[in-house]
Amino acid sequence: MIISFPNMGSSWPAFKTLFTALDLDVVLPDPTNREAIKIGVKHSPEFVCFPFKATIGDFVSAINKGADTLVMAIDCGPCRFGFYASVQERILRDMGYKNIRIIPLDQADLLEFHWVKTLQEVSGRKDLFIYSKFVKAVIFFLKKAKLINDIQTAEGIFRAYERNIGDTTKVLSRLLNKLDQTNTLKELRNFKKVIKEDFNKIDVDKTHSPLKVGLSGEIHISLEPYVNLDIRRKLGEMGIEIHQSLSLYDWVVHKFHLNYHRKWLEHLSRPYLPMDIGGEAVWVLGEYIDKAKAGFDGFVHSYPFTCMPEVTARTIITNKLKKMYDLPIIYFSFDEQSGQEGFRTRLEAFADLMYSRREQEIKKTPEFMANGQKKIYPHFGDIFYNECIQLIQTQ
Amino acid sequence: METEQQVEKEKIKVGIPRALHFYRYFPFWKKILEELDVEIILSPPTNKHIVEEGVTHGFGELCIPVKIYYGQILKLMQDNPDLDFVFVPRYVAEVKDAYFCPKFISLPDVIKILPGVPKILNFEVNVKEFPIATSAIELGKQLGKGQNASLNAYKEAQKYFDEYHEFLRSGASVNHALRLVQRNIPFKLPKKKSKGDIRFLLLGHAYNIFDTFINLDFQKKLTDQGVEVFTIENLPEIIFKKPVIVNPRGGKLRNYWRHEEEIMQAIRYFLTEGRDEIDGVIFLISFACGPDSLISELIKRDMKVVGLPFLEITMDEHSGEAGMMTRIESFVEMVRRKRKKLGLGPREKSKILSAQGA
Repeated sequence: MIISFPNMGSSWPAFKTLFTALDLDVVLPDPTNREAIKIGVKHSPEFVCFPFKATIGDFVSAINKGADTLVMAIDCGPCRFGFYASVQERILRDMGYKNIRIIPLDQADLLEFHWVKTLQEVSGRKDLFIYSKFVKAVIFFLKKAKLINDIQTAEGIFRAYERNIGDTTKVLSRLLNKLDQTNTLKELRNFKKVIKEDFNKIDVDKTHSPLKVGLSGEIHISLEPYVNLDIRRKLGEMGIEIHQSLSLYDWVVHKFHLNYHRKWLEHLSRPYLPMDIGGEAVWVLGEYIDKAKAGFDGFVHSYPFTCMPEVTARTIITNKLKKMYDLPIIYFSFDEQSGQEGFRTRLEAFADLMYSRREQEIKKTPEFMANGQKKIYPHFGDIFYNECIQLIQTQ
Repeated sequence: METEQQVEKEKIKVGIPRALHFYRYFPFWKKILEELDVEIILSPPTNKHIVEEGVTHGFGELCIPVKIYYGQILKLMQDNPDLDFVFVPRYVAEVKDAYFCPKFISLPDVIKILPGVPKILNFEVNVKEFPIATSAIELGKQLGKGQNASLNAYKEAQKYFDEYHEFLRSGASVNHALRLVQRNIPFKLPKKKSKGDIRFLLLGHAYNIFDTFINLDFQKKLTDQGVEVFTIENLPEIIFKKPVIVNPRGGKLRNYWRHEEEIMQAIRYFLTEGRDEIDGVIFLISFACGPDSLISELIKRDMKVVGLPFLEITMDEHSGEAGMMTRIESFVEMVRRKRKKLGLGPREKSKILSAQGA
């Protein structure tokens, strides 16, 4: 049995370790590419959301590499995501891959421990809880996911300051490979230092005072660089600092009911949307308010075309929140038709808008800006974020 | 003193937009609101102006029914500036393990931020957390009524709603029944019954099938060509008892959308026992409808296996009459030819449909 799972940006080392630690064979699909999207679009329903099509492409690529068991997360919420695994299995079977099994990984509430059952099914063992390798697998998964989250945070900041364009991207891929090779608990504990050291090697321009932009939206779209046309990199190389709290770790911890950042965001968005309607709608509203209050320069909301919850979030932001908080926002709805150049033009225009707004602000309120840099309130971000800022300042 | 009494005598005015859940729950709303001493003001049937208004206010990626909802709300406000409330219910879950589409769940939140909207009369149905009776009491509270009055109203409304469903199952079309409800006429079947030589099942959300403007009077187009049409509302209750398993081999996923569940259950019946009852299925979906994009794919794949003719029509505000007409005509023609080839005569009266009527 060879296991595989669809791409979701840089979160592959975490998923991989979950299965390799259980002594299972894992094959990774090729990074999402044009060929995969083409296959996905051809075989999917016409206007299903884009992640569905992208993951079908990934599955086919994994099957061609030899995988026969595919793991796909499912939800039971009101949005389309819950149907993915079932419909995709059916489509794959109709495509001629008769012996493929898609194992749904229930993530509705991780504290109900349905996922243990899934792992039992995958590993063929009934006694997982007394099996030391299983505990190790879960711990490794969480640790690696956390480290990936940290890498993502550092990447977003460092890319805005880098002198040679492309340095951060190299460091990022090197670090992910290194993380994939790290398979002892001791090394994992010290991995944070490795991240800091590696990023510290990047030649940075301390004097640069970048714009600060929050990034949020549907999770697959926000994390998968091919699908979102590498929005993080493009913004970063324009010299813009990116803050994205959304990541695999963020989501998993939320599903364990331990993510207080998300609880805070829910609290912020409650007056406008009192309940979770699937997708990231509630947290997108919360992020928008949070970032506006923190004094950010802009916000990017990316989602798949016709995504039901995100469209609702967008409606509420345009009709209400934008007027209240006045934080510039740009929406990107992605599907297979998204074009590079139009996308770049829109991003550049958005960056111009933010720069001119900042100039206006400096002119109007000189004391508001401390030496040309906008102040973000001191308790913003987690510890690692503040450590990264210090690294840049002291280099 | 006199003026105060006059104010008291005046009924509270509540506006109901003729869109979305209207086509499904209106008899229930009407009864419960009237029992609570409320004057109901309905918006007019959808017309071109309303659609245009809705399209300008709702943004591009919303589905057309929601845009119409916007248009209807705005029309309602324009025509009746003295409204006390607009009735925007929040349907989260009507049965324990099924949701509605996220757009319905967040409907009041989206509507209340429109400029100039009067107070929203909220009616939250979420049986996952509390029974509908609680929702009714909350509704009564907003209208200044006590618990007992609200509960009685709820009971009456439920009774009336059951009667309404019974009437639909005896073969009445929803539009006819809604007309009777609006005019407070007791339920009675129309005398002339359209008979056709072939019989189609018309699938889709109630707001797509029964809004005669946006679907260009689809049902009439079919009956004009001698087709007997019925919808899932006309089917007996037995069909809807057992839940549908979307993929029996894989994760044993149960369908979690309320309306789609009904569609799937109906389809399951006609794919198995009721295979000979109908000649074809037409599925009417609105562009950018999330749930239907997946459901129609599943149905299409099932149909291929069984060999039942299936036509999927996607519609939005740009639907053209001529193109749709051609598709319907060719589909009907195809089904007729198929029957002829198989040597089958015109349709007899349906067993499952007529059994209910008796």
